[in-house]
Amino acid sequence: MAQNPFPLGKDELLKAYRTMRTIREFEERLHVDFAKGDIPGFVHLYAGEEACATGIMMHLNDNDRIASTHRGHGHCIAKGVDVHAMMAEIYGRSTGACRGKGGSMHIADLSKGMMGANGILGAGAPLICGAALAAKVRGDRGVGITFVGDGASNQGTFLESLNLAAVWNLPVVFVVENNGYAESTAMEWAVSCDSYVDRATGFGMPGVTVDGTDFFAVYEAAGEIIRRARDGGGPALLECNMVRFYGHFEGDAQTYRAKGELEAIRASRDCLTILSERLIEAGVIGRDELQAVDREVNALIEDAVRAAKAAPLPAAEDLLSDVYVTY
Amino acid sequence: MAPVVGIVANPVSARDIRRVVANATSLQIADRANILLRVLAALHACGVRDVLMMPENGGIRAHVDRGMMRARSRGEDIYPALHPVSMPITGTVADTHRATAEMRRAGVSALVVLGGDGTHRAVAAECGTVPIAGISTGTNNAFPEHREPTITGLATGLAVTGRVPPHIAFAANKRIDVSLDRGANGGAVTEMALVDVALVTERYIGARALWRTENFRELYVTFADPEVIGMSAIAGLLEPVGREESGGLMVRLSPDSNCRRSTTLHAPIAPGMMAQVGVTDWRRMPADVAFVPEVTAGSIALDGERELSFTERDRLSLTLRDDAFRTVNVAAVMRHAGQNRLLTGTPVPVTAAF
Repeated sequence: MAQNPFPLGKDELLKAYRTMRTIREFEERLHVDFAKGDIPGFVHLYAGEEACATGIMMHLNDNDRIASTHRGHGHCIAKGVDVHAMMAEIYGRSTGACRGKGGSMHIADLSKGMMGANGILGAGAPLICGAALAAKVRGDRGVGITFVGDGASNQGTFLESLNLAAVWNLPVVFVVENNGYAESTAMEWAVSCDSYVDRATGFGMPGVTVDGTDFFAVYEAAGEIIRRARDGGGPALLECNMVRFYGHFEGDAQTYRAKGELEAIRASRDCLTILSERLIEAGVIGRDELQAVDREVNALIEDAVRAAKAAPLPAAEDLLSDVYVTY
Repeated sequence: MAPVVGIVANPVSARDIRRVVANATSLQIADRANILLRVLAALHACGVRDVLMMPENGGIRAHVDRGMMRARSRGEDIYPALHPVSMPITGTVADTHRATAEMRRAGVSALVVLGGDGTHRAVAAECGTVPIAGISTGTNNAFPEHREPTITGLATGLAVTGRVPPHIAFAANKRIDVSLDRGANGGAVTEMALVDVALVTERYIGARALWRTENFRELYVTFADPEVIGMSAIAGLLEPVGREESGGLMVRLSPDSNCRRSTTLHAPIAPGMMAQVGVTDWRRMPADVAFVPEVTAGSIALDGERELSFTERDRLSLTLRDDAFRTVNVAAVMRHAGQNRLLTGTPVPVTAAF
């Protein structure tokens, strides 16, 4: 076996690959099952963007909080939310992570520090400021990560949160997942200051741009940014340039894309392929080992779908339970 | 025929991790556009009427267009016409390569470049004999000199309109050619660096920047300048080598700065970042002599960024070349302009009144 040239040991590299493969298979399966009409509501798939969530979440523990987006399955899986509970939630079953009442856009698991996917664009940013303030007051070295797309970065909530985090020097990382399109609107039509790093600079915090399809680029940059926040160095912004393999939502005809665009990005910017080829080329992990992971993941997803379909829907008498909080 | 000038402005330079691990600047897109407007005004003042520009989606062109439109609205005729190069945009360094090649083919007289060392390297790879006028908008910026862009534009305009003799207007520059032979199955890779080639032990590219000095092993520089930031500063603080001198410097670095064989150097390796570097020894790197590194595996950083990884199976060599490409010698042009009163209203020599 060749010397490992990477910043992670073999077990950690396998974990990263397994996480990314799990996200990919999870999303590919939803793509198929949603088209069959098996899934209620809407789903927004994270396929193609796996390196971003995984590269960041490898640095976090359950004490660290994340606030996700409408495209949150990848964040959930990378943060350690149970795949069976997620699948059941998306199928609207009572065994789901939120007992089947949240669905795709509201999966949460506070025990894992996953504060929730969120159907309101830009809404995670102020929430994570609260979580980060709590961590700062407690002094527990926790950090908060919030994700926004290039579209949601235009929301007032996001910009106000940048200001708040800077003023209070909160341990927050604002991750802009820039896949080039706000729903169907290309970034150059809708983002006035053109660079998310410029926005961070305007609020007095550092901003960094990385190739979000390169797991190691995300991992290394996120590691430095998270360490800085954890040590009291304050907030920062991380822009990950990435691609999404499916439409904004399932059923999106994607007429806004150029001809051949999807085929080109799948061929040249597939983060999972990029990672696996590097691992194999370096001689650290064999192709057969990765294929074994693929089989495990396939079985996991298959079992999650089977279990979700077999699970009961929430009962009528559960309508108001877990909905309101009594203080 | 009136000279045409080309412009390459990189919208994504100065965005890397050195904003976090050091205190590197983040030059905003609007600032880059403002720099371009200053350059364009200076070029126009020298008689340049047409400028080609690399297309990009980063927003620079939109801000420049807005500035030019506002000038026209006020009735001002202070900018040359700006023509984008017709080419697809990928948002990668391939755009710089292609735009430079297209502009060279179109016959531009000079290329004004906004970016860091990496952007200038990409332009130098394709510019041939077309001189570069560099403006630093990157992170370490060892290659482009720090100067008000208006003056760079003015010097470029004076040079390309023939008002300054070429032997004064243009300077020769060095580069280091990197040859990586990956054997029968891997093929050969050739790359180049304008300022420095660093060999580091990390064998992944990752976030690209160099800041973990314990991983530095060997360093090769075209010029060793104690007044700049980054790898060239390490060499420059040991034995300065000028940009105009033949050859460069090779430095062997040690992972353990406390090792008896090594010297500890305190060097500014990134903006605001002083670091201890263990130095084993150093020596001059003559031109046209191939150097085979001692380090056998790791990453090759070109002008401060990890670009290629190599293993024990690969064969690596580095060769410095003198007179590899040309730049506009802004200082010499402006000195000539002053001495010969090129910007006075009359061509007749005048003396200061006492």
